[in-house]
Amino acid sequence: MSRIRLSRWLVAIPMALLALATVYPLLFTANVAMKTRRDYILDRFSLTDALRWENISTAWNSVGMGRYFVNSLLVVTSSVVLLLLFGSMAGFALSQLRFRGSTALFLGCLAGLFVPFQVIMVPLARIMADGGLIDTYPGLILVYVAQFLPFTVFLMTSYYKTIPPEIIDAARIDGNSVYGVYRRIMLPLGTPALLSVGILNALFCWNDVLMALVMMPSADHRTLMVGVTSLRGQYSDDIPTFASGVLIAAVPVLVVYLFLQRQIADGVAAGSTKG
Amino acid sequence: MPIGNVHPSVRPAQAGRTDGAAGSAPHRGVGRPRRARGLRSERLAPYILVAPAILIIVVMRLYPLLLGVNFSFTGDGDRNGMAVGLDNYLELFRAPLFRTALGNVGLLVLLLPVAVAIPGLLATFIYLRVPGHRVYRGVYFFPAVLSPVIVGGIFNLLLAFDGPLNAALGSVGIGAVDWLGDPDIAMFMVVGVHVWATFGMSLVVFLAGFATLDSALLDAARVDGASLPKVIWHVIIPGLSRTIQFVFVTTMIGMLTSMFGLLYVMTSGGPEGSTYLPEYYIWIQQGQMNRPALASAASTVLFVIMIVVGLLQIKLLKRAAREA
Repeated sequence: MSRIRLSRWLVAIPMALLALATVYPLLFTANVAMKTRRDYILDRFSLTDALRWENISTAWNSVGMGRYFVNSLLVVTSSVVLLLLFGSMAGFALSQLRFRGSTALFLGCLAGLFVPFQVIMVPLARIMADGGLIDTYPGLILVYVAQFLPFTVFLMTSYYKTIPPEIIDAARIDGNSVYGVYRRIMLPLGTPALLSVGILNALFCWNDVLMALVMMPSADHRTLMVGVTSLRGQYSDDIPTFASGVLIAAVPVLVVYLFLQRQIADGVAAGSTKG
Repeated sequence: MPIGNVHPSVRPAQAGRTDGAAGSAPHRGVGRPRRARGLRSERLAPYILVAPAILIIVVMRLYPLLLGVNFSFTGDGDRNGMAVGLDNYLELFRAPLFRTALGNVGLLVLLLPVAVAIPGLLATFIYLRVPGHRVYRGVYFFPAVLSPVIVGGIFNLLLAFDGPLNAALGSVGIGAVDWLGDPDIAMFMVVGVHVWATFGMSLVVFLAGFATLDSALLDAARVDGASLPKVIWHVIIPGLSRTIQFVFVTTMIGMLTSMFGLLYVMTSGGPEGSTYLPEYYIWIQQGQMNRPALASAASTVLFVIMIVVGLLQIKLLKRAAREA
């Protein structure tokens, strides 16, 4: 038994080092963001001697990170609301209702999972341009909804399959229409799945850069992630300000992760085991 | 009237079939217009519920796929819209940057087993309860929630020629390395950063797989005194074959379709085009070079690569699972 114990400690040390390697880069960045340029050039590793917020406010104000932040918030919130609405509607119908063509429609939704954005970037940009939706908020929101809807429909369908049909029968006998069942029964019962899928979708949309770059060319429509990439060119010689911009973009995600770690990891796990 | 029979075509899927389709005929015969309208709207309800999702997916995912393939056989610029046969593909396979991109895809395929084995081993250790196992899942998963842009930005800083990594190496007497500026090294750095940022995702998937593993088998193997490599080889790998297959395919797809942010921020495809991947090439041709038809051809090639690689992996892994 003691041999096993020893070997456990042997792997525990590299694992602890790896854990350090996963968090250190961000801590380093946060530390740099608090330093002055001079301090950083003199010593890259020393802890900052004070919590300075000047770099953060420079990044926030002068490069328009504040504006980009609001853009991102607007686009991500709308996308997630639409994803959850359409995803739960389709998931309810595909899991609990029997109708002609339901299998084909479900497979049609799933097929979307195998079409990454890179593959349809050119024609999709053209479709959006023809519809006058390029460089508009509704355009980017639609692109995000289309990107993450197959996954959302898939997860909501498998979640709603676990709800016993008797509950729906009972609600029907009480005189509810199909829509009534959706609103009064399926939406409330789906809350755990909606929460989990919603957080994942919010992260995906918030973190995206390619779709935003293609669909939102003009500068004042930039999302936060595109904004961060433009910081790089502007502040290549002012590392603390650059680090501040990165930090601004990372903090909302960090906060969400600290509070909702379990739901996020469970959502990823659910996506894999239900396949 | 028996309410249970009112909505024959939209009854719950798992409900009994005793109230079968025959029930609908008499009610339709009653012929009260309001009732009939209600009936029809109830019958249409499932389609209306599915409509937004299916419309968006068909118009913005499936149709563009066909459009893109079609588009790849037309010309750019002066020959806009004209059929040019395979010209775009011929140009593509002669283009040095696209060849580099394909070569890098080959590199990714070679590195794939490593990218799967790392989270697999770590998940095994966590499952076997190494000291501190409660903390590791949360810590390892953490970079996976960060945008590639943020990850790329951070490593840009760390790996800069005058950056902290070289400073640290310098202090122990190792000469500075141009991590992102040397064509022989840069691609490995980008892939390494990608693995750093995403291994937590696969780890969580592996742990979910472990939850379905029969722990009695594992206990039996341990009682018999099997060594860890033996336990992994004879119990864990066969028991998790589905999970391993899933992680292989998703990791490969992740490498092919979610490294754009890193490439864009860390190297912009450089130095000397050495870090091009198909997705980056597509973006450059579409956005910067104004060659949408050529980009469409590259998109089609990427799609074919994904399908081939995905199917091949599933086939290989299935055979391996049978032989194990």
